[in-house]
Amino acid sequence: MAQYRTQTKIIADILATARDLNTAGDGVGITTLLRRGNVSYSRMTKLITDLVGAGLLVELNIEKNSKYKISDKGLSFLQAYGQFEDFAQSFGLRL
Amino acid sequence: MEGLLLLENALQFVGAFVAFSIALVSYKGVKQTRSSSLLRLSAAFMFLGTGFLLEGFYGFGSLSLIPGFEVSLTTLLIAGLFLETAGYFFLAFSHMLDVVLDKRMGVMLALFPLMAINQSSLAVVLTSLSFYFILYGVVETLFAYSKNRNPNTLLIASGLAVLAAGWWMSLAFTDGLLLNIIQLLLKEVGLVTLFIPVLKFSLSKKGGWNGPV
Repeated sequence: MAQYRTQTKIIADILATARDLNTAGDGVGITTLLRRGNVSYSRMTKLITDLVGAGLLVELNIEKNSKYKISDKGLSFLQAYGQFEDFAQSFGLRL
Repeated sequence: MEGLLLLENALQFVGAFVAFSIALVSYKGVKQTRSSSLLRLSAAFMFLGTGFLLEGFYGFGSLSLIPGFEVSLTTLLIAGLFLETAGYFFLAFSHMLDVVLDKRMGVMLALFPLMAINQSSLAVVLTSLSFYFILYGVVETLFAYSKNRNPNTLLIASGLAVLAAGWWMSLAFTDGLLLNIIQLLLKEVGLVTLFIPVLKFSLSKKGGWNGPV
């Protein structure tokens, strides 16, 4: 059975994708984020705008294409997410 | 007997400490991740902590350890029990949300009217509701464990189960010194078990981000 993902979990998935798939260091495209984030295009663009606005993602404009890479703030968020996910899981809850 | 009452009141303050610790860690989590699950957990333990605190003050007031406290004792007890019930409700409610979202309603909900309408006094009704909510929490936490296989989840489920056993004993047996001591010990062990994730979190903490998402 497919498990419901909370907004926090979706954000963590997007940030983790931007961190893990940025192997060349020039960011990750929206198609990759869409594929790994598993949300609709319109929702993804809204989320990315919010995450860039909050300073968790950095937008890079390479050859007229927008790419995204995780910021230091985003990395700190993922670290905190990992710690609190374990804490919430202890009580049988999901972040 | 007075020594036992004193111990019971001291336990309320231990409970308040544990509950406020969990609420604090959860609230830090809310600030850092904006998680609604942690917000509900934080609210649950904030209510529980305040409830324990009020009941502790009620106990010391009834033992005349706090002078001039006798007038509002009943109000204090009812307020404490009400907050405690609200706390357990939020704890169960966190699971209920998951259950509804999974389109699977807990069978335990069907027991609710049986537990609530058989009692006459308000204090007993609130205690019954608390017991029911803890029981619901046990079932859902065990269900969560069956999915995530996290040993900490099993630990919390066990802690809640021991706490539920203590509550059941306090509902079922109102007389008897030995039974009172056993139910106090059960509640104490249950509460201390709930404190373990806070300890683990504090020990593993490497610092995090404090800004909003």
